[in-house]
Amino acid sequence: MKSFDAIVVGAGPAGATAALRMAQEGIPVLLLERGDRPGAKNMFGGALVNCSVLDDFFPDFWNQAPWERHLVRRVLTLITPDSSTSLAFETDSFDHPPYNGYTLFRPVFDKWYAEKAVAAGATLLCGCTVEDLLWQGKAVAGVRVGRSEGDIRSRVVVACDGALSFLAEKAGLRKKFSPDQMGLGIKALFRLKEEAINERFNLVRRQGASHEFLGCTEGIRGGGFLYTQTDSISVGLVLHLDSLKKNGKTPYDLFQRFMALDPVHKLLKGAKLVEYSAHLLPEGGYRMVPRLFTDGMLVTGDAAALCYTNGLNLEGMNLAIASGFLAAEAVIGALQKGDFSSRQLSEYEERLRKSFVLKDMKTFEKAVDWMHTDRLFSAYPRLVASIMEQIFASDGKPRRRLGRIGWETIRDTVTLSELVADLIKGGRSFL
Amino acid sequence: MIVDDLFDLVSYRIHSEPHILVNQDICRECVQRSCTFACPARCYQWNTEKGKVDFTYETCLECGTCLIVCDRGALEWHYPKGGYGVRFRLT
Repeated sequence: MKSFDAIVVGAGPAGATAALRMAQEGIPVLLLERGDRPGAKNMFGGALVNCSVLDDFFPDFWNQAPWERHLVRRVLTLITPDSSTSLAFETDSFDHPPYNGYTLFRPVFDKWYAEKAVAAGATLLCGCTVEDLLWQGKAVAGVRVGRSEGDIRSRVVVACDGALSFLAEKAGLRKKFSPDQMGLGIKALFRLKEEAINERFNLVRRQGASHEFLGCTEGIRGGGFLYTQTDSISVGLVLHLDSLKKNGKTPYDLFQRFMALDPVHKLLKGAKLVEYSAHLLPEGGYRMVPRLFTDGMLVTGDAAALCYTNGLNLEGMNLAIASGFLAAEAVIGALQKGDFSSRQLSEYEERLRKSFVLKDMKTFEKAVDWMHTDRLFSAYPRLVASIMEQIFASDGKPRRRLGRIGWETIRDTVTLSELVADLIKGGRSFL
Repeated sequence: MIVDDLFDLVSYRIHSEPHILVNQDICRECVQRSCTFACPARCYQWNTEKGKVDFTYETCLECGTCLIVCDRGALEWHYPKGGYGVRFRLT
């Protein structure tokens, strides 16, 4: 039977990071990927925000990594069927290296990143689905892949197997998921000439823009997004599964109507649809994070639900990379002591707690309740639109002060107790 | 854009064995049939005539939505064999 000191399952950003770090220390590490190449199963269409682990690995990360555009412009748009209100933020400080965030194609980025791990000495095996864990007593002792003689032994398994993490479940680290913990992301990729994107989104050089849309999901909790790549645009929806299930609408029909909305349609005019994809996102926040280690195994990235949104920040890839790095550090420590018990591996959780990873998850723990407020996705976008329209509409009637317009519109939209409850939830998630 | 265009643009390497098994005995009793609308790849459709779910694994995007919205446990869900299933080329 083949054996390695460490097996990393999944060659996404968490897995490649863990394998690279361990390989740098000369640890025999096997990196397994179920796609026929790293990134083949990934449909990410968002942004990688600046991550210090990458800067430490590659001091000129921005100069050598295969990214598409660096983000300088972030736009939040509240949509109603016939109007939109946008808040756009743009700053010079995001416009020079090291950049604050990048759009990228994961089939390209993941392959590049996994090759770095291979160059450092890791063994990469693609087209290998892990079907089960091997056990020695109560300790995880390797994996079974779907090939003949597919048992591979190891002293530790690092599970970087993504949002559905069957390995965490098999190891007894998490319970079955419930629909309120997951968001369904669907995405389409559109081709559009680089010059057209620059002109349309007000960009020069390799500057990029991201747009988030609220109020475009017909009452289902969720939102729309649009990210610019060099000569393509990623557009999609994220829908809370429990809300989608209750509502009974189909994601692709919602998506079609989203893209037909004026503010979206205008940005996509003349662009050619080239690919469609879907994936789940862990949306349960801090409370969804499973047990992170057991004898002989650690869990990282999406597999550990290390992913959050508070409505403004949408982060996951940086948390995956940082957690993969800290898992590798814990493995290095365990190897030095020759001890892979959960007591020794608990060092991984301690490191995560001291890092921004679990600190950020904890900071926005209550944002999950805010993001599960139905009114945020329909009533409030309508409220804002109504106030804006009353401010600007000229119809011959005497104008009223902003405070009066606001108060009366709020009273027409929500009850006082609803408003207070929502303000408290919003306050708890941000303040 | 029409919805059908979306599905035509996905590329796959299809394995001869399905990676998801549907227990029709359970589905027959189901009234909610969440999989028939929540699946983003339109893999599940209710067949009124036969009183069962028509399921195609070949066009699955491997997202796991069906597994999580089914509260009757009618699905035996695995990832496809290594190298098979959906292949995102550009995304």
